[in-house]
Amino acid sequence: MTYKTDEIWEDKWVNTTCGVCYCGCAARVRVVNGVPVKVEGIAESTMGGTEGGLCGKGIAGLMYYHDPNRIKKPLRRTNPEKGFGVDPKWKEIEWDEALEEIATRMKKIMEDNPNKILFTNQTMRASDGPHNHLYFYAKAFGIPNNGNFIIGGGSLHCGNAAHMLGGLIHGAWSIAPDWRYTNYVLKWGSSKGTGSGHSAMINARLRADGVRRGIKEIVFDPMGNFAGGKATQWVPLLPGTDTAVGLAIANYILNTRGEIDELYLRAKTNFVYLIREDGTFIRDKETDKPFVFDERAKKIKVFDDPSIAFEDFSLEGDYEYKGEKCRPCFMALKEHLKQFTPEWASKISTVPVGTILEIAKGWVDNAQIGSTITIEGQTFPYRPVSSVTFRGAQGHSNGIHQVAAIDLISQLVGAEDVPGGTMGWPSIRRKYPGGQYERMPKVGKDGVIVPSVFYSHDPWPVHPPSYPCTNSGCVEFWSHSTLSHIPYVKEKNYIQEKFGVEKVQPEMIFGIAVNFLISQSDWDVALENFKDCFVVLSDIWVNETDQAIGDIILPDTSYLEKDTWSSEIDSFFFNGSPSYEDWYVHLQKPVAKPIGESRDFMDVYLDVANRVGVLDKYNELLNDYYSITDENLKIKPGEVLDWKEVGERVLTWVYGDDKEKIQEQGFATWHKPIEDVYWRWNMATRCPVYMEFLIHDRRAAEKIMKDTGFELEMEMDQYAPLPNWFWPTSHKELDDEYDLLAFSYRDVLHTNNSTFQNPMVDEVSQMSPYTFTITLNKDLADKKGFKDGDIIWMENKYGTKEKGIVKTMEAQHPKVLGICGQGGLWADKRPIAKGKGSNFCKLLPSYLRHYDPITGNIETSVAVKIYKG
Amino acid sequence: MPRWGMVIDVKRCIACWGCTIACKEEHFLPPRVFFNRVLIGETGKYPTSSKLIYPVLCNHCADAACVEACPTGATYIREDGIVVVDDDKCVGCRACLVACPYQQRTYYDQEVKDREYFPGQGKTEYELLGEKLNPMKVGTVIKCDFCSERVDAGLKKGLIPGKDEEATPACVNACPVGARVFGDLSDPDSEISRLIMEKKGKQLRPEFGTEPSVYYID
Repeated sequence: MTYKTDEIWEDKWVNTTCGVCYCGCAARVRVVNGVPVKVEGIAESTMGGTEGGLCGKGIAGLMYYHDPNRIKKPLRRTNPEKGFGVDPKWKEIEWDEALEEIATRMKKIMEDNPNKILFTNQTMRASDGPHNHLYFYAKAFGIPNNGNFIIGGGSLHCGNAAHMLGGLIHGAWSIAPDWRYTNYVLKWGSSKGTGSGHSAMINARLRADGVRRGIKEIVFDPMGNFAGGKATQWVPLLPGTDTAVGLAIANYILNTRGEIDELYLRAKTNFVYLIREDGTFIRDKETDKPFVFDERAKKIKVFDDPSIAFEDFSLEGDYEYKGEKCRPCFMALKEHLKQFTPEWASKISTVPVGTILEIAKGWVDNAQIGSTITIEGQTFPYRPVSSVTFRGAQGHSNGIHQVAAIDLISQLVGAEDVPGGTMGWPSIRRKYPGGQYERMPKVGKDGVIVPSVFYSHDPWPVHPPSYPCTNSGCVEFWSHSTLSHIPYVKEKNYIQEKFGVEKVQPEMIFGIAVNFLISQSDWDVALENFKDCFVVLSDIWVNETDQAIGDIILPDTSYLEKDTWSSEIDSFFFNGSPSYEDWYVHLQKPVAKPIGESRDFMDVYLDVANRVGVLDKYNELLNDYYSITDENLKIKPGEVLDWKEVGERVLTWVYGDDKEKIQEQGFATWHKPIEDVYWRWNMATRCPVYMEFLIHDRRAAEKIMKDTGFELEMEMDQYAPLPNWFWPTSHKELDDEYDLLAFSYRDVLHTNNSTFQNPMVDEVSQMSPYTFTITLNKDLADKKGFKDGDIIWMENKYGTKEKGIVKTMEAQHPKVLGICGQGGLWADKRPIAKGKGSNFCKLLPSYLRHYDPITGNIETSVAVKIYKG
Repeated sequence: MPRWGMVIDVKRCIACWGCTIACKEEHFLPPRVFFNRVLIGETGKYPTSSKLIYPVLCNHCADAACVEACPTGATYIREDGIVVVDDDKCVGCRACLVACPYQQRTYYDQEVKDREYFPGQGKTEYELLGEKLNPMKVGTVIKCDFCSERVDAGLKKGLIPGKDEEATPACVNACPVGARVFGDLSDPDSEISRLIMEKKGKQLRPEFGTEPSVYYID
């Protein structure tokens, strides 16, 4: 390499964080003459891959800065007509004009009802700025909870069921194997450690070390690609049938082998709580606490009576309380599981009986029940088996039962948040040495954990369905949905009318980096549901949603131009330090000047709040969110600060005397003591694995439905305390004509659809055999008469179709089609993305019956027929 | 004198393409030019088929077919084993392109030089700076040189290639799962030599007889 040094007046590296997917790994950027020219990881930080490694799309993030298609000035639609294929006739306008119009409209709506404003973000560029702020920014406008968010990631690309159970069991947003100590990993529809999921590159590094150490990794997945292709054993199964296999394994553990971690079940679960015949807990009238039976004292006591030793909590036995028969709910589980034989599970999932039994046996053999391990002088149970899931398995209309069955396997052998087991994270945040801001979960009602941070709906304590609902998401009724699905549902108007929401029809949408029209489900339904709103979106490009329904588009800066001083606090859920990794803090620092007139959306938030007259409220919420108690640092009433000025206050609070050092270096790491790794073991909490609250919820929901004359189909039997088998709606729609199940998966190269516009990612995607194609099992393709390169149509039962290019694979279940999510793009201002890949999302029907009735997950497989294009 | 080589651990590799893209940025390679690629395929029949992932780059062969084919001596093997092209001597005959059994060479002509990352929208500042920082001569052959400029500059500073990031090829630094190890093949105690011995490192298509310096372990 020859340097022409006379023309180079600057050549430096700036530490920051990646902004390409939600993980936000440590990154440093080479800047030459003010121009970013290279991205890599930071070797000295543990937040990311091996010694400064970063994934391909992260390295390619450079192109976010260089894309000539970036929006440089605010745009206004001049064509009042909205829809697909309609030219918005954009006109560039001044910032002041745009913000004044936004503020004026907001003020007018707020005089009527602030719930008519929908706030939205997605995981398109979720580490490109503090995207979580929207959740409490909305509160400043008078919107009380998560019901007014429309989120593309809310179901198809996120995990309402996974997050609900992560919160209930681990007080955490996510789960992963304890890679350092585990020996036997079951992954269900998840690519944790092979490129996707939260803290993706940290998990990839830890997994790679684990694999080299010799762990066995068994992957249940319809395709043997990212996770399955790297597994010790890939087990093909039909989408959405993981529950069946999980329940059969649980039955093997409990009833066939009878080898369970009794002490764990007695000490750490609610399986010891006494239930009546109808399955509900018997509670103490005075304290409302559930009862348990003390085997030593032979007495019924409240669950947290300090006189009971852990080993004396009864798991089995018939008792009587004030003349009423009762028993520990563990007995109900034991009987319930007997029906789930490997033969039954095999018929549903297509996994051979012998494979199920072999894996179940391997699980128990490897669990080392009763063993302990001493780390840093502290002794913990040692359970080197881990069962994890994420988007794939949980994204079904039976989602909550999928994740509950997968979790149950770990529960039975005590492999939860102990060395080698399934770890929840992030759950706790320790304050930086010498600084402030610490977050620790608490113990709540019934001994269940209350997470320290949950940006949207808190999983605990639970609230039974109620009505009338006050917002378009109807979260009072769907009280377990992390983010509501209702805005996307075909029968939205009927639901809102029945549940008393007709008076808060949304009039305005205010969103950051979203493309919800084409990234969720049926495009026409989304268009119909949102087109009448005044739509204001902030992004770096004009995407499909902007083009179809956007009224004002605001140019955002990219992560390479942002000063996201808050990133390590605000990205807590996406890149918190997992497992036995050092604690770290990281800032996202600007490495280049903003493109055109683009403005950081946080500055736009503050400006809009000020114009609307709610800035003081938002500032108060900021003080509260960062827990600032130092009066000198608090933002005071009447103060108008920009985002950088807010940062100066908060960083002084969070990092104390090291503020400037961290701002300069961009990050810091420090040792995580072992008690912070396995913190839950020392906290007196009980996992609510027997979801008794769902019995009460069912009663409440059915009463509301009866009272309101609600007649839409909802599978109410799913409101049950123990995981059970329910056919996903996609399977119910299979017949001789619509004979295949299409499903989507995450490709390590892509973050939803934002990366489709990156030309470096695009050129390697074109070399990848699967990224832009529809994959079919080779024998299936032969039978249907298709070969590599053929153009085919996929069509669902409702007449929606999408075309794509065939790529045959051996490693794919012969009953499924695989599509890497969010291609098939058409926005005129994203020429690299245009026409690449196929869009899976549009094929997902959006009737209420296609959603998990409890969590709101959409069914992410769909019955289709295929034919030549 | 060391002989530089690389071990790629395909068991660790997750096919994220970090190596491919980091290499492009390191050398400011034009669109559709790659010194590092990832070959993806599969073997076996459903349901016991397996995915194959092979990250590939110039093998820096000890008995290199490209060197043999070059009529001008432009392609040669340095004393440290790195195969490089002297663009002053290269006449662009492309005999090496035909000779290389691993298809690791690219002819850099005006069409390649003129390619834009955003076609029809002009070159970005990144591309324009790249032409200054890593000028390539039209009408010559370009290829991976194990980031020899990093290795050389690092050694001058007393750094150790393969250990110190600054002296190590960009693709090795970029790998998020530690699947690449760079080091001295002539030193039996180097990490790379140990890995090759312990994990039975294999060269790609050894039957070509070119003695690659890139080994694969699984």
